[in-house]
Amino acid sequence: MNDRIKIGIPKALLFYKYGNLWINFFENLGFDIIISPDTNLETLEKGKLKLDDEACLSLKIFMGHVEYLIDKCDYILIPRIACLNKHEKLCTNFSALYDLTKNLFQDLPILHYNVDVDHHDSELFAFLDMGKELGFSYFDSMSAYRDALHYQKQQQTLKLKKQMEKLRSDNLKILMVAHPYNLHDELIGKQIQTLLEKEGVSVIYSDCYDESNLEEEAKVISPKSYWTYNQELLGAIVHYKKRVDGIILLTTFPCGPDSLTNEMCLHKIKDKPIINLIIDELNSENGLTTRIESFIDIIKEKKKRRNPVGK
Amino acid sequence: MKKGYLGIDIGSISTKGIIIGKEDQILAKAYLWTKGNPIEAVTNLLRELQKQIAGKDIVVVAVGTTGSARKLIGTILEASVIKNEITAHAVGTMSKYPDVKTILEIGGQDSKIILLEDGIVTDYAMNTLCAAGTGSFLSSQAKRLDVPVEQFGKIALTSKNPTKIAARCTVFAESDLVHKAQMGYKKEDIIAGLCNSVAQNYLNNVGKGKKIKSPIIFQGGVSKNVGVVKAFETILKEDIIVDEIGHLMGALGVAILARNTGQERMFDFKVTDHSFETRGVECNRCPNHCEIICIRDDKKLIDAYGNRCERGAIKQ
Repeated sequence: MNDRIKIGIPKALLFYKYGNLWINFFENLGFDIIISPDTNLETLEKGKLKLDDEACLSLKIFMGHVEYLIDKCDYILIPRIACLNKHEKLCTNFSALYDLTKNLFQDLPILHYNVDVDHHDSELFAFLDMGKELGFSYFDSMSAYRDALHYQKQQQTLKLKKQMEKLRSDNLKILMVAHPYNLHDELIGKQIQTLLEKEGVSVIYSDCYDESNLEEEAKVISPKSYWTYNQELLGAIVHYKKRVDGIILLTTFPCGPDSLTNEMCLHKIKDKPIINLIIDELNSENGLTTRIESFIDIIKEKKKRRNPVGK
Repeated sequence: MKKGYLGIDIGSISTKGIIIGKEDQILAKAYLWTKGNPIEAVTNLLRELQKQIAGKDIVVVAVGTTGSARKLIGTILEASVIKNEITAHAVGTMSKYPDVKTILEIGGQDSKIILLEDGIVTDYAMNTLCAAGTGSFLSSQAKRLDVPVEQFGKIALTSKNPTKIAARCTVFAESDLVHKAQMGYKKEDIIAGLCNSVAQNYLNNVGKGKKIKSPIIFQGGVSKNVGVVKAFETILKEDIIVDEIGHLMGALGVAILARNTGQERMFDFKVTDHSFETRGVECNRCPNHCEIICIRDDKKLIDAYGNRCERGAIKQ
């Protein structure tokens, strides 16, 4: 019999950013981990019942994942991340996530950590505190966190290598710009990726690039972006723009930060075909197919024009 | 024997068909209502087209489909090209107007704008779920005013002082319209106001942020409304071209695309004698509950689609 403590992680929102870090951290400390399965329509239906109509699609999906994990584990990890860099913010959903979930579900065994750099709560201290709550010394938590950081970096490097291979191929290349939790979600980004790949397109991800020049690159589009995660997306656009054939901005309805930055991108980027796709819970696949097919037609025609056959 | 190329555009409201020859000359054309039954509409359309080419020694050698039922009909007719509306409309329009820069299109349920540069599409936009300012909006307002929608344009042109009507949203437009009528505005002024608001609404929503350059071509059912055409001309201060066969451009485009594939195979009009049957089944193998459409030709399954994953694949 296995009586190790089980920690549940909803496969939504920040899982797609910090998943490797979390999994490795808890494994280093000797916990079992349960990750909710890929999003499906049932996940969304469950999440919809929990939240107001006005909440964004991604948040609804998150709540569906939380619901799945109830009674399957001893803790459910729900962090509060409000601010990662000074004078920048994350979407309010992330700073409200802990309180929101706590109020939506009665007696949920939440495990949380709090990152708010503007108020001197760094990620390292947040993980040490979380370790302490689970009964580990600062020293144990520290080494588990260091190892996990290292592991996360390794995984990112592997992903980057794969992406570079895709960039070198002769296929049409389209940069899909979206928050990681939309980009890799089975119901949102994966659906579009499948459509694109059916047309022979290689999909380049916006969450995978060498971020050492991020700030400089993001500034090309906007001198200051208030939201950290959107700044990362702007950086990705500038980083990859010259090496792809087209750009798809993908967002979920009604995302506040995206509605501003995507509109700005549409106005400022004039040298690459670009479209903005907004996904809502109605999931009309027909409209999506028409938009994507015509977008690919535009790119193909342009490319043909630039490199006539035989050259 | 002359070779013909068939293009069919199956929209939500109407179904359009065209047969062209080698030099884009139109050999036959037909237009009828879809009435919610695309298969029956296409069967009737094919009978009509067949009648028009009877005895002229024309053989159809390639088929293309476009419009919202393009996949269904394309499967049934074994089309060599199944293309989205935007590309089809652009190709069709360019065959008649090679230097076109902007295509405005307002149909029954949706509206789109296509921008072209040097003969290729550079940008496009479609309306979102909201159908404000499309054909169905106009016909419902026509019903309210008890005026046949076909006469809307003519009546609008008689107005000297169009009323301002809020047209951002169908629901608000309707209450605004009632309000203006109760205040005592003339019917023709209200109708002219509606036509203006359709054009304004289109430019604010679909045409938002797009550079509209002339030559501008206006297509779709609403382009038959001279009131809206005039409204566009006034707002854009440019000439608007409305082609006599503007409603057939999608079908024409996809016929050209079918011809350009170079693949040729005799098309048999006997297909109208078959009885096609479609059935929607819900796959219960995972929580996604995909709706799979099965198409049967006299009880024999010819295609099935709609499944997101392999679990829902239906074997022949």
